[in-house]
Amino acid sequence: MAAAIEAVRRGCRVTVIDDAQRPGGQIYRQAHPALEGQEHAEPAEVARKHALIERFEHVVGKLDYRAGASVYAAFPNGELHIAEGERAEVLRPDATILATGVRELAIPFPGWTLPGVMFAGGAQAILKSHRVLPGTRAVIAGCGPLPLVVAAQLLRAGGQVAALAILRSLGGMLAQPLSLWRGREIVREGFRYAATVRRAGVPRFTGYVPVRARGKEQLEAVVLARVDAEGRVVAGTEREMACDLLAINYGFVANCELAAMAGARMRRDPLVGGWLPAVDAFGRTSIPGLFAAGDGAELRGALIAEADGTIVGAAAATAASRGDAALTAELADAIARRARHLEFQKAVRMTLALPAELWRLVTDDTIVCRCENVRFGEIKSALAGGHHSLNAVKRNVRSGMGWCGGRTCLPAIASLIELSTGSAPTEMMTPRPLTRPVSFAALARRGKVGAK
Amino acid sequence: MSNAKFDVLIIGAGAYGLSCAWWMAKRRSGARILVVDEGEFASGASGRNGAGFRMQWGLDLNIRLCQESIRFFETAAEQLDYPRGIELKQDGYLVLAHSQKALSTLRSSLEIQHRYGVPSELLDADDCIRMVPALGRNRLVGGTFCGKDGTISPFLLLDSLLKACRRENVDVRYGTRVEKLARANGAFSATTKGGTIEADKILLCTDWAVPELLASVGINLPVKSLPKEAIVTVPSAPKVKPILISLEHHISVNQVSRGSIIFVVSRAREGTEIVSTPDFLGFAAPKIMDLLPGVADVPVLRTWGGVSSLTPDMQPILGETEVEGLYVAVSSFRGLMTSPAVGRIMSALILENDTNDPVLTQLTPRRFQTGDLIVEPLLNQE
Repeated sequence: MAAAIEAVRRGCRVTVIDDAQRPGGQIYRQAHPALEGQEHAEPAEVARKHALIERFEHVVGKLDYRAGASVYAAFPNGELHIAEGERAEVLRPDATILATGVRELAIPFPGWTLPGVMFAGGAQAILKSHRVLPGTRAVIAGCGPLPLVVAAQLLRAGGQVAALAILRSLGGMLAQPLSLWRGREIVREGFRYAATVRRAGVPRFTGYVPVRARGKEQLEAVVLARVDAEGRVVAGTEREMACDLLAINYGFVANCELAAMAGARMRRDPLVGGWLPAVDAFGRTSIPGLFAAGDGAELRGALIAEADGTIVGAAAATAASRGDAALTAELADAIARRARHLEFQKAVRMTLALPAELWRLVTDDTIVCRCENVRFGEIKSALAGGHHSLNAVKRNVRSGMGWCGGRTCLPAIASLIELSTGSAPTEMMTPRPLTRPVSFAALARRGKVGAK
Repeated sequence: MSNAKFDVLIIGAGAYGLSCAWWMAKRRSGARILVVDEGEFASGASGRNGAGFRMQWGLDLNIRLCQESIRFFETAAEQLDYPRGIELKQDGYLVLAHSQKALSTLRSSLEIQHRYGVPSELLDADDCIRMVPALGRNRLVGGTFCGKDGTISPFLLLDSLLKACRRENVDVRYGTRVEKLARANGAFSATTKGGTIEADKILLCTDWAVPELLASVGINLPVKSLPKEAIVTVPSAPKVKPILISLEHHISVNQVSRGSIIFVVSRAREGTEIVSTPDFLGFAAPKIMDLLPGVADVPVLRTWGGVSSLTPDMQPILGETEVEGLYVAVSSFRGLMTSPAVGRIMSALILENDTNDPVLTQLTPRRFQTGDLIVEPLLNQE
């Protein structure tokens, strides 16, 4: 939204392609208009959300906003192929900004595919967009700040939280007082969420993770256990909790597929989103005319994403010949905001670091790739057979070849390869069109390049 | 691993390279055989094709190569000691004609097929639509069907060959690119980034990339590259039991056991880049809708690209080049389905100088100098 606002302000003709039905993305997700009502987020967050959405609504008449549309392929020649319902279309803009955000990182463990086990952000999205509780009795687990936030929001919506298991205490952030001061507005919101959880008397398990989920047709109970610094389960610490919802967040992975498909140079940093397009301070990728902004360029949270969007929107709207010095001067305010929040994000990052051995929670018959039903045992034998890259494992066991194209399982397989062979895969699995399925009928009907 | 002189160096670890290596190791135990490949496992043409095999051809040599190979596929799990199997499926190939000219080609091919005992039959348009109700009636005049044709998993064939090769002490190295070849004192040397490899004989199985290496020893072989692209859909209800080939649409269709439908679409395009091109889906979707309107609502999951070799007569090249001890095996887009027979024939030629198989006379690299080109009528360049 911020990038579009800035590009419109600078006089560009702008098209915004959005998977969702209403603007807002994940963090500022809006409910269906018929369901507007009580928000469960902190008032300050709600205020930020409304302020940004209002600014966007203000310019939406001046741009082409395509709700419910998605880019299913991006090519090095600058073409974007989009699908909107039963229609496909090819666009060829002068500049493209990828603001694709992140998805949640899945760590497979026995039972993680049972209905009732979901991402914490997914549980939160159900609450935000449909205003319904995703379960009646929840166990919430993972690392970083999201599990705490989701626990508080579920409680505020009338849900019951049986336990909150956090891998690493958020208190660790206190070691970075300067960072906390820079992020004081967010920290304040964090304390309020913590107060909600404390007042409800939710049992907290620090250093614990879910090691097994149990249930016949759906989730009935989860086993939590303490893990040591390397992520190994400590014997004798297991405890079972009855629940019908297990909401987990172990951090995030960037939605990087379009950037890679378009040929942008990629880098890998698991702490800030895994594989990412390499960008400069103005969001320029290695492909001329292709930009990336926000968490999809590097995981830094919504406040930075907003400042980053303004900066990258300006750069994309400005001819390269104007020079970076002029841009830097004009954008001083947004650049300063981005830098200030980055200090705080560095403290948050520490709580997101994952001990390597956590990936060993899988057993041979744990499904790792859900789309193709590939179990860990099969991946293990492919690795033992000398297939050590993501592409080679894929060609052997079909991991990543299904509906989602590896969006869920690839980080897990990359980490399992690293654990088994001692070295991380150097290349991501080749991203291929399409990023989402589109029917032949829609493809055959699609418009010509540049057509509106 | 030691780099002492090898008996045979095979360049290219696709279906041809691995099959030739395995047959050589079986033929002469103790032979020192090295297979190198510049890519990783199954990253070339053998891992990117439509997975089909057929004995419905219009030329004796193609029928024979495929008949022998299909017999191998039927028993590959035992022969290669690979209990998982190679996902062999024999639901037949339906070759479709959308013009009288194509239909008469099918008819004359049928005669040759029957001479070799291929159980193929002629169908009219109604028969074809009864067999595959999703087909469109547009211009369809008939087809031929053979129930012994089918598919295997390319990945599993390659993996079973790779494991069998390694059990026979064949040295297979991925990520090893040969830059150039040289010949001195009756032996070859192949230059790689990691050093020089010495071998008595060399077999090139790099398909469309063969000319590049041959040029380094002064040989010119007219092999071009033919980029192709494929589409796979999400798993859907059974719609296409046999594999379809449409001679006029230049499309082959294969619904695999998990329900996904694979379309391989050919179009004239040059280059060696293995990519999905931006205009491919726009080119292919209307053709697919014309051939098979029953798939209109099936969502496309993904596309991928591959490259195969194209020779002047669109037939494979098998044999020794004008440089003694230097051999080529170029598939001309049917490497996977002919790889068992080619492995047997090439291993006999290279290790025992056995030139008895008539295929070797027909497919010799010398034919481009003598002008003895071959014509295969039943081609769709699939």
